[in-house]
Amino acid sequence: MKIAIQVMVPPYTYQDLDTAIHIAEAALKRGHEVTIFLFADSVLSINSKVKPIRTDRNIPEKMKELAAKGVRIEICGICMDYRGVTEDMIVEGSRPSGLPELASLFANCDRFISLMA
Amino acid sequence: MALILVKYGVDNPAERVKLEIANENDKVVLIQNGVFFAVVEDVTKLTKAEVYALKNDLEARGFCTADVKNVKLIDYDGLVELIEKEEKFIG
Amino acid sequence: MAKKLLFVVYQSPVGSIWVNEAFRTAFGMYGEDLEPAVLLMNEATVAVRPTCKPECLGLLPISMVKRYLARYGTPVYVVKEDAERMKVTEVDPEYGAQFVSKAELSKLFHEYDYVVFM
Repeated sequence: MKIAIQVMVPPYTYQDLDTAIHIAEAALKRGHEVTIFLFADSVLSINSKVKPIRTDRNIPEKMKELAAKGVRIEICGICMDYRGVTEDMIVEGSRPSGLPELASLFANCDRFISLMA
Repeated sequence: MALILVKYGVDNPAERVKLEIANENDKVVLIQNGVFFAVVEDVTKLTKAEVYALKNDLEARGFCTADVKNVKLIDYDGLVELIEKEEKFIG
Repeated sequence: MAKKLLFVVYQSPVGSIWVNEAFRTAFGMYGEDLEPAVLLMNEATVAVRPTCKPECLGLLPISMVKRYLARYGTPVYVVKEDAERMKVTEVDPEYGAQFVSKAELSKLFHEYDYVVFM
């Protein structure tokens, strides 16, 4: 199945990115095709310059690992511009996109999950 | 019918609406602070749907099976199973 | 068959971006076989008051969405009881708002494939 997961709130401030990562991992294990769409402040989660304290999890690193396992990570481009996140900053495997890609996800996915703002 | 995700706690007005509009064929899943709906209230009085709670989020908040009633505890695998079953989504 | 999407906002149109984002997202859906709609509840209902102007504070105006509403005819639903509670005594006709009662919400939500709260 094609499963899309949309996230809207910032990493570290809220738990949503962690939730999305766990759902994505479980869905991958069950053989699904997973896409994470990052909207609004959640785009900060693919900023490779993020540097958490050593005892905390590195969310951008986890996103990169997910991408390497085959999860598609789409980032709202306007949301990136608004937050000063440029293409050279984003983790490997993620890609800037926008509402046309979100529309395509809605149209073509089998299941759509969203974590509300 | 629909999978309904509730992720904020008992003081969030939108989460209450999601619980109220759910019908018998829907599945509500309490995740993150949504699990408090099963800890501090009897969530089955707020909704007609069958209610599940994410065990990982419940335990991380220091609660266990004994602290909740009338909900089925699931892990992430269980959540994905529900995602597979329910075509529609509200959340 | 077109999938139906409902974008729901409950936070105030001034002080958070979600009313603007719900409309922007809805308008972005028309390139595909999708039928978007927007529902305003709780404090978000204030958005349809003619005097609601975030631009007074230098914030992004909401009025710009009206041009697209006219072009696409995107349905805009407003929860009646919430609008009354929030003293929405006058409604800007350009939103083409349809009032729904709380009792009708369950039926409305279940008509959509994906209901996305913002």
